[in-house]
Amino acid sequence: MGMSDGEGTDPLSLAEIEALGQAEGRQGGLLGFGHPTFLTTKVDFVVNWARRNSLWPMPFGTACCAIEMMASAASNFDLARFGMERMSFSPRQADVLICAGRVPYKLAPVLRRIWDQMMQPKWCISMGACASSGGVFDTYSMVQGIDTIVPVDVYVPGCPPRPEGLIYGLMMIQEKIRHESLTEHYSLRAENPSLVGRPRAGDEEVEALAGPFGNSTQQDQLSSAAQTTRPERSEDLLP
Amino acid sequence: MAGENGSAFDAVEQGPEASGRNTETPHGGVGNPAEHPSVTALQGRFDSAVLRHEVQAGDQHVVFLDPGSNRAVLAWLRDDPEQRYDLLVDVTAVDYGGGRPLQIVYQLWSVPHKRALRIKCELPLDGLSIDSVVQLWNAANWLEREVYDLFGVEFRDHPDLRRILMPQNYAEGHPLRKDFPLRGRFSRAEQTRRALSQDYHDDYTPEELEVGGAPGLAPPELPISTDEVGTRLD
Repeated sequence: MGMSDGEGTDPLSLAEIEALGQAEGRQGGLLGFGHPTFLTTKVDFVVNWARRNSLWPMPFGTACCAIEMMASAASNFDLARFGMERMSFSPRQADVLICAGRVPYKLAPVLRRIWDQMMQPKWCISMGACASSGGVFDTYSMVQGIDTIVPVDVYVPGCPPRPEGLIYGLMMIQEKIRHESLTEHYSLRAENPSLVGRPRAGDEEVEALAGPFGNSTQQDQLSSAAQTTRPERSEDLLP
Repeated sequence: MAGENGSAFDAVEQGPEASGRNTETPHGGVGNPAEHPSVTALQGRFDSAVLRHEVQAGDQHVVFLDPGSNRAVLAWLRDDPEQRYDLLVDVTAVDYGGGRPLQIVYQLWSVPHKRALRIKCELPLDGLSIDSVVQLWNAANWLEREVYDLFGVEFRDHPDLRRILMPQNYAEGHPLRKDFPLRGRFSRAEQTRRALSQDYHDDYTPEELEVGGAPGLAPPELPISTDEVGTRLD
């Protein structure tokens, strides 16, 4: 922040600024008392400040995680304190998609379409074990992590996570926004229009992300051989 | 409990112990097959079609029918004034695995007589086909679609036998069969690709898509109009 008038390096007091303004015949500035009438700052700072303090969530609640998400928005935890003033049930007016709960394959195109309908810039939170990895539902009908469908910025672990967990995840999104720059926005966030409605990742990446892990009851020797390295998400490889 | 002479499921099969105070239940008496009037009437009237009779879970009377005569017997159970099973609570199926026959389960409830009855038909795995009962109870429509979707049982004369829970482009088979692998038959990548290529138009008939399309119009005719139900087999 700079000032319009000021010759030395010592900052001027408010009274001195007011005196300077009156000496120049100004009847009031930005605040009506001869204060400096403009600010200098970085566009990135102002834009990110505005974005991160008015994040409107798009709730995609499919299971018990949605109960915790509702509790997060209710008065005891009050998501609105952090700028998520309003749950935006319309994807066009939403900034952050909160996928709370398990997503069956039949619902996958719905999730993808909602994500495609959201305006840039947009972020995504995968809330809970099922949304992040399929959880205990390592079955024929369940999406094994929504990161095979849409890009995910923050994973909130838990079964279900407490509201503090979701709020912490949203604050991580805010922290992520704080470090974003408009100059690299395109390379970080642009999505290929031809991939609308398609899986987010290629076949190998989907297999790596959806593969069995942990204490899956279906894990056998073959499946552990197929999954030996940590999966690399394609967006993690971006500059 | 798993004791010296029984399995862990014995208690489930036997159901709660009779209290001794309330032996006369609406279901015909705890553990007493002879006290269910519908069972004795069925055995008297459809002797060849009734294969056997069991009491499960304490007081649930189960009648095993010859699958070829399910519709005639069920129509009689619905219409006979002494039976009047006018409420079809559920149609489902059980696959016990090991090549054993698949059981189609009809759970009936008689509102006037306040009686429950369970009818089962056993189908061999290489002949999963049985007559539909949609003509008797409209409630069977979606229930039979569900059984078809998840078990692959063909219901003859069903007006609209399509998948109902799984996506219409699902090509991996019928997931609740015991021979179905838990994770499905395709790779996760293929499953994801297929899931995202669903077309929601596949889930609805053109008539159903018309509903809500033009405001003020009455919904289209159902495949079976309600006044037809109950007269088709008479």
